[in-house]
Amino acid sequence: MRAETRVKTLVVVATLGMSMLTAYAAGQGASKGLASPESFNGIADINARSAAIFTELGKVLTHPRCVNCHPAGDMPRQGDARRLHQPPVTRGPDGHGTAAMRCNSCHKDANFEPGRIPGHHEWHLAPREMAWEGKTVAEICAQIKDPARNGGRKVEDLIDHIGKDTLVGWAWAPGYGRAPAPGTQAEAGALVEAWAKTGAACPG
Amino acid sequence: MTTLGITINGQVHAPTEVRDDLSMNDFLREYLGMTGTKFGCGAAQCLSCVVIVDEPDGTCHTNPTCVTSAASFHGKTIRTVEGHAKNGELSPLQKAFIRHFAFQCGYCTAGFLNEGQVLLEQMAKTPVPRAGLEERIAEALDGHLCRCTGYFKYHEAVLDVILSDAKRYLIQESRG
Repeated sequence: MRAETRVKTLVVVATLGMSMLTAYAAGQGASKGLASPESFNGIADINARSAAIFTELGKVLTHPRCVNCHPAGDMPRQGDARRLHQPPVTRGPDGHGTAAMRCNSCHKDANFEPGRIPGHHEWHLAPREMAWEGKTVAEICAQIKDPARNGGRKVEDLIDHIGKDTLVGWAWAPGYGRAPAPGTQAEAGALVEAWAKTGAACPG
Repeated sequence: MTTLGITINGQVHAPTEVRDDLSMNDFLREYLGMTGTKFGCGAAQCLSCVVIVDEPDGTCHTNPTCVTSAASFHGKTIRTVEGHAKNGELSPLQKAFIRHFAFQCGYCTAGFLNEGQVLLEQMAKTPVPRAGLEERIAEALDGHLCRCTGYFKYHEAVLDVILSDAKRYLIQESRG
């Protein structure tokens, strides 16, 4: 290979390498924040304001960290690309997997980075009626207000569920190779609270 | 560092300090020299690395070791492939594996053996009808990968053990 060609090749390789590192760093960095409830105060109509607040919260609810375990079917998805879970697993009778392949066989109390396995002691799938995959923010909004499809919760209960539940909180500390949900759990909880206090209106 | 105390094949291992990022597979293979448990895919996909976990309530199940921390096994009682033979005699399932030439390279064998043993112990407590036996075995062994494609022979070996002791493993149908 001629020296000039060799130099050009090295430059291309180095550039490619740097761009890959940059993309990786971006994927690992802090997620974009969520708008605060106060930033919606300029919307005079309270219903419109409430719906706008939920739309902001929708950035979290439609994120792969949430949707992957709120699947439309019986198999969870994984990764930012939302591919089907490997190894193939299904929800089983209680959402914690089948008898031969329980979620906690691999998913222990905390993330285990050498194995790239996320962890939490309550790791499981959301029930079928709480499926969010493939739904619009408006559809999720109607669903999350419906006690028949939200685990029997009142709207006010969702403030703590989304704002403080530690399994939900995993979405903001998901470990290696997974983008965290937008903002922080506290910011998401504040949005839920503001949405509830403004009448829990849904986007149209 | 985390404390790990564990019982393996009936032998109590006194609590010892292990790194938080040490996998259970490395603990068995590198710390204890128990290399019967294999490291295959490293992603809980092939299940060659599974061990048997005995729960306090008398139930048992398999558990991958390649993607799980050693620390997460603290206080557990487990069995590995090294614990199946008693007093130098292979277990009925091990003998069946040999009789059926179930394995070729043998890399997946420990995983299949542990899964099959769990199935036998579960069926001894909860027998199944003969009609559902094939499906029950297939479900139990599902997920275990064999690059030598010994699936059928593993299945046949497990089936052989069950049918040779049908009163123990199968629901006895009354003749009317």
